[in-house]
Amino acid sequence: MISGGGGGRSSSSSWAPTTSVSASGKRIQREMVELNNDPPPHCSAGPKGDNLYHWIATIIGTPGTPYQGGIFFLDIIFPTDYPFMPPQVVFKTRIYHCNVEPDGRVSMGILKDGWSPALTITKVLLAVRSIFTNPDPYNAVVPGIAHLYLGDRAKHDDIAAEWTVRFAK
Amino acid sequence: MVSDSISAAPIPSAANTKNPGKKKRTNRSAKLKQYKIDARREQWLSQGAAKNKGCKDGVEDDIHLPSSPMGKRGKQELEKVETRRRGEEDVIHQDSDSESPSNSPISPNCSVLCGGTDSGTNFTGSSSGGSSSSSSSSGGCFSGNVTEEEEDNNDEEVEEDDGCLDDWEAVADALAADDKHKTSSHDEPVVETDLSRELTHGSSLGYPNSNPGSAGMVPWGSGNGRAWRVDDALRPQTLPNLSKQYSMPNPDRRFGGGGPWSRLSVPSPCPICCEDLDLTDTSFLPCNCGFRLCLFCHKRILEQDARCPGCRKQYECEPVETEASVHGGSLTLRLARSVSMIERS
Repeated sequence: MISGGGGGRSSSSSWAPTTSVSASGKRIQREMVELNNDPPPHCSAGPKGDNLYHWIATIIGTPGTPYQGGIFFLDIIFPTDYPFMPPQVVFKTRIYHCNVEPDGRVSMGILKDGWSPALTITKVLLAVRSIFTNPDPYNAVVPGIAHLYLGDRAKHDDIAAEWTVRFAK
Repeated sequence: MVSDSISAAPIPSAANTKNPGKKKRTNRSAKLKQYKIDARREQWLSQGAAKNKGCKDGVEDDIHLPSSPMGKRGKQELEKVETRRRGEEDVIHQDSDSESPSNSPISPNCSVLCGGTDSGTNFTGSSSGGSSSSSSSSGGCFSGNVTEEEEDNNDEEVEEDDGCLDDWEAVADALAADDKHKTSSHDEPVVETDLSRELTHGSSLGYPNSNPGSAGMVPWGSGNGRAWRVDDALRPQTLPNLSKQYSMPNPDRRFGGGGPWSRLSVPSPCPICCEDLDLTDTSFLPCNCGFRLCLFCHKRILEQDARCPGCRKQYECEPVETEASVHGGSLTLRLARSVSMIERS
């Protein structure tokens, strides 16, 4: 009885097309429905094409931050063993932020060791949006931006706003 | 077919003017009544042909003669009805009991046949076993059942408005009042208090044709007039399967001890893989934080970092060996190590 249903899950180690409903596929589809029914504010996300494991998301820059007014595009790559492994979130729009690597990868605790299978894309998007408001310079991946943020916050904000105008509008 | 035989009978013109309001009943109850009456009449008349030939007056002959063409049809309908509803079945079996020589039900029945409206209502009073106001309440009490019968009666719609049936309605009311008890036990087949059991039993005793010996002949649901059990061999196939309602609100019957099953009203999906949690999963609570997940995902997590997805703490104990087995409907679940269950039964 217990071992009977395990066959479907073992297939998740290989690449699964969108038509097959593996364990991760069902979970991602469920998240897509929930995201459409109750989207978080200033966020949207959905599959890029017909590949369920490759999403594109947009986050509108939070008002009151140097990123306000910008529209930031992100790629979300789901691993085949999602949700046991975290998704990969990459900024496609250039952003001046100490927690975003120069190639766009988002460095957050919940996308690494802090990942939990109970987290969803909705929560990930909210977490990404929260680093607009509250950067984490002590776990920064771009030390120069972190130093500037700690040392000269006004100059940091000016540069970030300039990048927003230049790349995200 | 029946309308011919009925209109040939000289009865109804008086009774017709007497009760004009009865014609306003719903078509369904009228059809159902007529349907039952046909079944009974068929048996009475065959009895009368065998036993009491010549003891009746012209009215009996009037009815007897045209009833012969409807014999085959009536018997087909009888066979159909026997598989359909238990309340219907009671009526028929009571009639078949009446063929035994020990009792003589013909005299009250024939008084109805002869058109005496007063004796007819007396008969309803006695047969309904003291139930209240059978003639006025019968229209309502049938409303739950007639939908099943409607397909069979589509071709009989002609006769519902001819108004010739008022005298038969007295008999129908008696049947309706008797069926009311049976259908009430139909509606709540799961939880039977002693009171309802006495009610159904008492109504069956109050029926004039029932003798104590007939209990063995009539295939009751479980012998004493209770509703059909799910596992009853004689249960008609057409009855709706109530197993879900049967198991959910009253789990003590099926699982013996209540326990954690009483809370599992709605199956919830596993938050990790979105598959529905089965019975083993829902009784599986691996972490004190209360985060629930299926056994597959739990095993998968144990192979990796072994942290609870809800609180990110390490799972306290090693992989849990659970063993579930089903013995004849009662599920026993053994846990090798002490894992916090919701309750221990």
